[in-house]
Amino acid sequence: MASVCPTKTAKKVVGIALLSAILLVFPWLGPPVYFISFLYTVFMFVCMASAWNLIGGYAGYLSFGHAAFFGTGAYAAAMLTKAVGPGTASNLLCSIPSGLVAAVIALVVGYPCLKLRGPYFAVITLCFAFVVQLSVQNLGVLGGPDGLWIKGMDLPVETGRSILYESMLLLMAITILVVERIEHSKFGAGLRAIKQDEEVAQTMAVNAPRLKMGAFALSAFFPGVAGGLHASYLTYIHPTIVFDVNMSILIVLMALFGGGASWLGPVVGAVLLSFINELLSTFVKAELARIIYGSLFIVVIIFMPNGIMEFIRKRKQTGSPH
Amino acid sequence: MNTVLLVQSLIGGIIMGSVYALLGVGFSLTWGVMRVIHISHAAFGLIAAFVAYGCLQRWGIDPIASLVFMVPLLFCCACFVYRFLILPVTKAREVIVSSMILTFGIAIIVENIMLLIWGPDPRLITTWYTSRVFIVGPFYFQYAPVAGFVMAVAGVGVIHLFLKKTYTGKAVRAAWQQSDAAQLYGVNLTRISMITFGLAVGSAGAGGVGLALLYSFEPHAHNLWLIYLFLVVIVGGVGNVLGTAAAGVLIGIITGLSLAFLPYQWVNPLTFGLLMAVLAVRPHGLFRSEV
Repeated sequence: MASVCPTKTAKKVVGIALLSAILLVFPWLGPPVYFISFLYTVFMFVCMASAWNLIGGYAGYLSFGHAAFFGTGAYAAAMLTKAVGPGTASNLLCSIPSGLVAAVIALVVGYPCLKLRGPYFAVITLCFAFVVQLSVQNLGVLGGPDGLWIKGMDLPVETGRSILYESMLLLMAITILVVERIEHSKFGAGLRAIKQDEEVAQTMAVNAPRLKMGAFALSAFFPGVAGGLHASYLTYIHPTIVFDVNMSILIVLMALFGGGASWLGPVVGAVLLSFINELLSTFVKAELARIIYGSLFIVVIIFMPNGIMEFIRKRKQTGSPH
Repeated sequence: MNTVLLVQSLIGGIIMGSVYALLGVGFSLTWGVMRVIHISHAAFGLIAAFVAYGCLQRWGIDPIASLVFMVPLLFCCACFVYRFLILPVTKAREVIVSSMILTFGIAIIVENIMLLIWGPDPRLITTWYTSRVFIVGPFYFQYAPVAGFVMAVAGVGVIHLFLKKTYTGKAVRAAWQQSDAAQLYGVNLTRISMITFGLAVGSAGAGGVGLALLYSFEPHAHNLWLIYLFLVVIVGGVGNVLGTAAAGVLIGIITGLSLAFLPYQWVNPLTFGLLMAVLAVRPHGLFRSEV
């Protein structure tokens, strides 16, 4: 990457600008609502996988409980809109404090949990997500097992969906940008050092506990905001939907599928897996689709144990003589 | 609180916990010996439960008797899975992460094969002794859970003796303690891992049938079972067979007590909260890890 000539970077900038322009105007060209909704979920997963990568990919702390932050965001947004009064602007803006709520919870939970390493951290976060889900399900204040209704925006379906689409696109762009900046900063270098060897990193004046807490809180914030937006999208939230354990696992798989070493990995992984999942569930019988989906993980992990991006990079290196 | 009722729910809890321990022993061994977190462990147990159910429905074979051919069958299946799927991954840089993703894929496949064959409806194994009860003093014992309990005790005991007394078992323990040194002393690590994995999946089959004697089950049930596996194994200490058994009984007691005192829906949050507490305080389990 050191010898990237300026024309290449220029090409990259133009490409990204073109892509974002197309994505930006897409919903206003009058496509079927299905495509808007589908791309919206793709953005949502890209956002969550990228945010997850901060703690999971760079620092090597595999959190299997990120659905907890997503669900917290959704519930916080639902309660907030109830308090503030529903409306298009308030629905969208309430998602930001919801993200903060998720981040604060991440700080509280992260303090004891981030002392654990490896599979123990994975298990404790998985359990945390379960505890949150089951507790919300049993708390009458939060609707309990009946779930919560959110006053949607009083707009036609297409417009409402398009607005949410644009908001999620914006959130995704911000997430990717933040993650990319962190990757090339001292913060990111510290996280990578923690992944390599935490003890050595600490002797090299890396404040591991603080970096981990920061990364964990930040990686909870964006899913929280996404959850807040998704609450307006669903208009009805239920603990089993927004705290779905499968979602936690899916986020992890997306990020690792693409490759956790760089910001591009989770993006590619989330986009690819979303598309594959959608295609399979549209064209193949549900059970068979899931079997193919499962086989995919096996194939990828056996042939590309460090993710697709790493695989492509290595191929390129051995293919071209420099 | 009625004492009889309390003891009765304690007994129920202990039976449940010990069956989970049988399911968990293999999980603990694969994690401890091979550094592989086998997410599809419970799914293999569940498939054994379904096959036992099928045998009972079609040919009237008793679920416990069907283990005679099921455990060897699962052993062979597991050897294949190990040789062609797990072994290539154990050479990766991050074994635990790769193996988790890999076995998660296997779990999805197994789950959906079960859905294809048996459909999503919950099943219940009903044998001639399911509704029978024997009474000791003021306490009622159902035959089926007691059979599950006996099976669990026997299964854990056999695995413990295998590890302590047989040559292969000693090799498994050596590989767990010092894999390099064990290899220097002529332990074939690949073969030992294959046997461990096969044994683990075989015992998962026994545990799955044991659980099927206690509860109804459906193709998604292995997800909840998996959580209990983590609970039992982590509380007991990874790789520790007797610790796993003790943890199973302990968790059974706690669940039994909380069932007696708490509304039902708070039992699972309490159990998982407890696991989090154990992890935060003693991440390597309550019992000293010693194979």
